[in-house]
Amino acid sequence: MKPFDFVKPDDQEAAISALAAHSPNVRILAGGTDYLVELKHVSQSPGTVVDVSQIAELKGIEETEDGLRIGAGVTHSAIMADPLIEKHVPAMIHAAHTIGAVQTRNLGTLGGNLVTCVPSMDSGPTLVALDAEVTVAGPDGSRRIPLTEFFVGPRKTILAPHELLIDVIIPKRNLGKPTNFYKFGLRKGQALALVNAASSLWVEDGKFKDVRISLGAVSPVVVRAPKAEAVLEGKPVSDDLISEAGKIAVTECNPIDDFRASLDYRRDLIDVLTRRTLQAAVEIAAQE
Amino acid sequence: MDVTLTVNGEEKSVSVPPETTLLRLLRDDLNLTGAKIGCDVGDCGACTVIMDGIAVNSCLVLAGQAGGRSVETIEGLADLDAYHPLQKNFEDLGSLQCGFCGPGMILTAKQLLDDNPNPSKEEIQDALAGNLCRCTGYTKIVEAVADAAAEMRGDKQAA
Repeated sequence: MKPFDFVKPDDQEAAISALAAHSPNVRILAGGTDYLVELKHVSQSPGTVVDVSQIAELKGIEETEDGLRIGAGVTHSAIMADPLIEKHVPAMIHAAHTIGAVQTRNLGTLGGNLVTCVPSMDSGPTLVALDAEVTVAGPDGSRRIPLTEFFVGPRKTILAPHELLIDVIIPKRNLGKPTNFYKFGLRKGQALALVNAASSLWVEDGKFKDVRISLGAVSPVVVRAPKAEAVLEGKPVSDDLISEAGKIAVTECNPIDDFRASLDYRRDLIDVLTRRTLQAAVEIAAQE
Repeated sequence: MDVTLTVNGEEKSVSVPPETTLLRLLRDDLNLTGAKIGCDVGDCGACTVIMDGIAVNSCLVLAGQAGGRSVETIEGLADLDAYHPLQKNFEDLGSLQCGFCGPGMILTAKQLLDDNPNPSKEEIQDALAGNLCRCTGYTKIVEAVADAAAEMRGDKQAA
């Protein structure tokens, strides 16, 4: 690794001050499961590394007036063990479990997964399907934005060098919403998603309501499939409609063709995963 | 930078450059070479240590991040006169061949058993998914973890 300065602020405010003081030659270190790998390969020093991995304020999971607030520094293992997440957003537990292996989940954070912003991130689809919002803070205060606006491109978010991702909020209206996440990778452990997907929906009087379909590794960032959602919205639940939604979702994505999977294979996966997540969400709704 | 941490119950202070990983600190500065340098990017698990009660890849932890924390390595698990049940069952079953993955494998298994004294075969396999072994095919490793768990619960007599 190229030499750099290491700063370990005690709290959120000190972290933002440190980022501002060293911006733009500064990087945030949270779990490090991705960033340290990058640091070992880059030819240029990042300047200053600000370690936020032990900041207690970033580690809370709590119900607020707005919904469920999950600190950006919460690890994937902590998500898997949390009773509030199990109660309100169990699909997040399944999504967290598909990330890396236990060592990765013990270090890696929810915020880190979002900020790293690789197209195959496994935290993204479930959160997008639940209309999650994020809080971003800088020296001049904080702002809350929809998660979909946070993502800009592969490894690129709207975060400025002097800004910090604080938390993720699942809106109250979506707590307990039937949701399913499905990751397709080549192995169970330590595999990147070839395609991942999440669907959330309510079934009211036998009809689809508030359908969300979200897909990862099929576009530069995690996306929704609004046309596929629209074809279901307000219609009676049926397998035929779900099949149609799968086919439409394929047309709404722009997957790459690479050594992990061909374009055609990824397109097939979009169809299959859209259907499977919708079907699973319908089954969850039926149990309730 | 100066880093003070607890390693196997003893407080240690070292002076290292910020770009030092916990893995290098353990091996180069504290002469604890049980944690292995395998892939050095968090894929193989050979560098696994237990930090504040959780299994982590020490190649993905900076020395500065380990400051003030408590680290357990394979050297702290037991001495030659009294093996940990995991070590003993790995030995009894011949669970290791070259042994390079052993320290990481055993420490990951230890965290599993600390959290879950009676894991199913599937839970053992899931827990060890981040520890690659290229010799054995894992069968005897999973069996040894199950046997060690039984022994630690008192369901099985130590051999």
